[in-house]
Amino acid sequence: MLLGLSWLRQWTPFEGTAEELADRLTMLGLEVEDIRDPFAHLTSVVTGRVVECVPHPASDHLSVCRVDVGGAEFLPIVCGAPNVAAGQMVPVATVGTTLPGGMTIQKAKLRGERSWGMICSERELGLGESHGGIMVLDPKLSPGVPVPDALGLERVVLDVSITPNRADCLSVLGLARETAAAFGLPLHLPQVQLTEAGEPWSFAVEAEADACPLYQARLIRSLSVAPSPDWMRYRLLACGMRPRNNLVDVTNYVLLETGQPLHAFDADRLHGGRIRAARTPQPLDFTTLDGQVRRMEPGDILIWDAQGPVAVAGVMGGQDSEVTETTTNVLLESAVFHSLSVRRTARRLGIASEAAYRFERGVDQLATTWALDRAAALMAELAGGVVAPGVAGAEPVPYVPRSVSFRPRRVFQVLGVDPGEEFAHKTLVSLGCAVTNHENAWEVTLPSFRLDLEREIDLVEEVARFYGMDRIPAVLPPVSLSLDALAQADTSFAETAAVKAWGKGAGLLEAVNYSFVSAADIKRCGLPLEHAVRVANPLSEDMEVLRTDLVPGMLRALRHNIAGGTTRVRLFEVARIFVSDAQRETTVAEALRLAILLHGARFAERAPYPRGEVAFADIKGLVEHLLVHLGLGPCRWLVEQARPYLAEQATAWVDGRSIGAVGRIAPSIADAYEARGAVWYADLDLERLLAMARQARLRFTPLGRFPVVRRDVTLRMGWDISVDQVLGAVAAMQEPLVDEHFVLDVYHPQDAAVRHVTVRVVYRHPERTLKDKEVDKVHSRLVSRIVQQLPVQVV
Amino acid sequence: MKTQLIQDLEALVPRFAEALAEADASDVEAVRVQFLGRKGSLAALMAAMGGLDPQDRPEVGRVANAVKARLAELWQQCQERLAQKAQGAAMPFDAGDPAWVPHVGALHPTTRIQQEICAVLQRMGFETVSGPEVETDFHNFEALNLPPGHPARDMQDTLYITERVLLRTHTSPMQVRTMLARRPPLAIIAPGKVYRRDSDLTHTPMFHQIEGLLVDREVTMAQLRGVLTALVQAVFGASTRVRFRPSFFPFTEPSAEVDMSCVLCGGRGVLDSGEGCRVCKGTGWVEILGCGMVDPAVFAKVGIDPEQWSGFAFGLGVERMAMLKYGIGDLRLFFENDSRFVRQFA
Repeated sequence: MLLGLSWLRQWTPFEGTAEELADRLTMLGLEVEDIRDPFAHLTSVVTGRVVECVPHPASDHLSVCRVDVGGAEFLPIVCGAPNVAAGQMVPVATVGTTLPGGMTIQKAKLRGERSWGMICSERELGLGESHGGIMVLDPKLSPGVPVPDALGLERVVLDVSITPNRADCLSVLGLARETAAAFGLPLHLPQVQLTEAGEPWSFAVEAEADACPLYQARLIRSLSVAPSPDWMRYRLLACGMRPRNNLVDVTNYVLLETGQPLHAFDADRLHGGRIRAARTPQPLDFTTLDGQVRRMEPGDILIWDAQGPVAVAGVMGGQDSEVTETTTNVLLESAVFHSLSVRRTARRLGIASEAAYRFERGVDQLATTWALDRAAALMAELAGGVVAPGVAGAEPVPYVPRSVSFRPRRVFQVLGVDPGEEFAHKTLVSLGCAVTNHENAWEVTLPSFRLDLEREIDLVEEVARFYGMDRIPAVLPPVSLSLDALAQADTSFAETAAVKAWGKGAGLLEAVNYSFVSAADIKRCGLPLEHAVRVANPLSEDMEVLRTDLVPGMLRALRHNIAGGTTRVRLFEVARIFVSDAQRETTVAEALRLAILLHGARFAERAPYPRGEVAFADIKGLVEHLLVHLGLGPCRWLVEQARPYLAEQATAWVDGRSIGAVGRIAPSIADAYEARGAVWYADLDLERLLAMARQARLRFTPLGRFPVVRRDVTLRMGWDISVDQVLGAVAAMQEPLVDEHFVLDVYHPQDAAVRHVTVRVVYRHPERTLKDKEVDKVHSRLVSRIVQQLPVQVV
Repeated sequence: MKTQLIQDLEALVPRFAEALAEADASDVEAVRVQFLGRKGSLAALMAAMGGLDPQDRPEVGRVANAVKARLAELWQQCQERLAQKAQGAAMPFDAGDPAWVPHVGALHPTTRIQQEICAVLQRMGFETVSGPEVETDFHNFEALNLPPGHPARDMQDTLYITERVLLRTHTSPMQVRTMLARRPPLAIIAPGKVYRRDSDLTHTPMFHQIEGLLVDREVTMAQLRGVLTALVQAVFGASTRVRFRPSFFPFTEPSAEVDMSCVLCGGRGVLDSGEGCRVCKGTGWVEILGCGMVDPAVFAKVGIDPEQWSGFAFGLGVERMAMLKYGIGDLRLFFENDSRFVRQFA
């Protein structure tokens, strides 16, 4: 809402500065976002007296003028307007001015004559449509005065952000009321001098109760359409509205003043002398005054005459009944429409009109008559019309005064500070409430314009607003803990934080990707779309599907890094994936995942690190490291095709449950995200891992006190069995003397079909030192069992 | 015989010392064997003691023992000297040599500030809870006093899945879920992702919020102010000032917008250079969160008696806090996952 300071001052005698007003309004909850001069760009346009005006020697339509703009010398200006003449007071754009059209005035020579400025038309200054010639000002003005001041334009406009509850403040009147209450000033309503004359008239008005609680109209005759006077046009311009003509401008002007939307019909284009405000029972097409054919749906409120619809109630008028240049008789409407219906209709039609904006939020039913009379009087005054006697109207739902019971002690109970009963009383009265004191509670009758006030708590807020919320002291509450809150605490935040801390400690950077991806991303990764959740109104195709896997986001992050010159990428992300699940309350199942992505060199390319690319061992190592961190393991790896976007891959299993997959992003996909070289990726079911970690029991194992004996065995094996199987076979024997066993070395001989895997077995007895001979016996038994069970040979 | 033996024994000490001094790491063991070995000089002299008169043996024995101890001592010193020499020779070092620094990881700044804020609130006794990101219209709007068609729904452009299911526009549905699941007293915070149909220089379609809710007997706005002041001062420093300004949220009444004194200009609105402050646009204040007392209409939706219980709620934008705290000017950086960006928050 743009509020002109001088306009406000006509309604309440506020003497302070714009800044003082802005601060006070902001601290009342009416946030002033900006204070601006709407005509700042015209400050260097000044009044100038044309001292001399002679025809241009080299042109038949240009004049060469000398203009007094208050300086030591007269300015030479070449002017092309036919109406320029010596003795006129004119607006002169001085050198350096940029006009609203974008032209910047420079010192120039026009056909050999110097021109150090420009005499402007109203249109060139952005002040109106008139461009028949230059603007001629009041000759009594002095030269050299900035035109905005010479014309008395509004120089200070406050941009006030009005929260949706404060419909009453979408007007000069509403903001004047707040200002008056805040500064203890009187409120002056403009005098409405309405003279009714002419033939009696009658219009049959009907209004459906659930669509239109009140409909009123006046007839104004013998009008002549013309541009509005300057003061009205300039004021509308200052407040962001484009002036049209004296009829339409009056409706807009009164809308800005009072917040009551008005509509002017050309009375001669209405049929049958009747008006009806009612919902349409069936769909129909209707042409609005912007020339567009709009589809109206059942339930939309329309204004009908005897032949059909003539306006979309509260949203936009119809083309066939609109005011035109030739209109002489106007039917002026001032009504209250059902706010939800107006909102629904306006939104569906995509019309954001000033009228709809106010009807949606609610208008003051008791102020419609005043606004109607004010507008009728202005039309009569500005367009030479005559207001016909009487008002036609229907009020199926008359306004009933509302009141609430208010306990002054609630103010202290809610705020924790006591402004005092007297202050509360004074505040409510200054806001237009009628207060009747009772024993412990007051009966407060609410003003008709404050539709947001309905309950006791709303009045507490009013007292707090005027007392100053910033005066509320700061104290810490005692926070009561319940047994449940501690014993059944939601631990997911702490658990997730621990996993993220692990990622950081493991040398990974945390990524945060959008939860939505494109369907193309999902398809490119070979993932199915059938259970994916689609956004009904996505911002773009890039964001149309909720991710079913973290991989598209991680690959996008990889691409962004590569494009930015980062070739060594180590990322992890902890986030949810989404799939449809009709069983859920929200129809969507959400699950926490952990993704890890490695790409490029294993270490930074600098001393003392060795060179080399990340490999399967790196990503697998990170997963096993995480499992240790979570107190889980051991992990078994199974080569199987589990993720469509991975080429070489394996699934990880802990306690017989799959916890995720690890592998290399398929080269064709990696290529699509501009990755040269292998991209290693882990997709882990963090939901399951955290649940397993929660169950994991940590038990202490006594430390071995006697020395260990180590025995190594080197096995030749093909690629048909996994190293994991060898280790698994050792474990499966459950030999009590085996303390630990691991791969000591892998050697790839000339023959690429085989490899030599050295397994070290460490033996230890819990209660005594082992003798070499007994270890030899156990070890050879163990080796022969492996050779029997698996296709391997001892080297 | 006796005297000669004693002299020979005692002579071993300087000879051994001399031999050790001349030896280096490679032949020192040979010197040891020569003197202390099983067939070495000391052993030979000890064996010669067998030919002495029995009355002389104790005296020679004492000398032999003293010499043996002294030789062991010399051996020990030589070992230490050689060890030191060996170390010194292998490791002349330069402290400027490049270090083997393990991989450096980092939390995303959103996570970092989120954890910092939650830690402060947890110390005050608030419990952290989490809930779905895809929400029902009931939890996200209706139960929060935003019935269908309410103009305040325009304040949050919504991404819908179906007519009744949407991506939560704020973390406030966690207020509803918590109050429906448990009885007061309640003190919870709910960090998480939220979504809006909005994308420009200062808005991203996904961002993070932290919701706070306290429901107990006789909760006041002064307590709300206390909690938020403590939070802001813990995160931004004890000299930070907090301002309460009336505002409107359908689910709180009274509602307030909270500003804190600008981090860049210290609340003066101008920088030391005399330039106007761009962070607060010269006002000295930056808006950081919305809050208020739980609206009785919300209590009614979840079956809590507003005459018995009262409460406050607040919701703050995590990215905004991170931008202010770390001086990040561009919101879009948060979702590009540039390593050069994330690494700075290690």
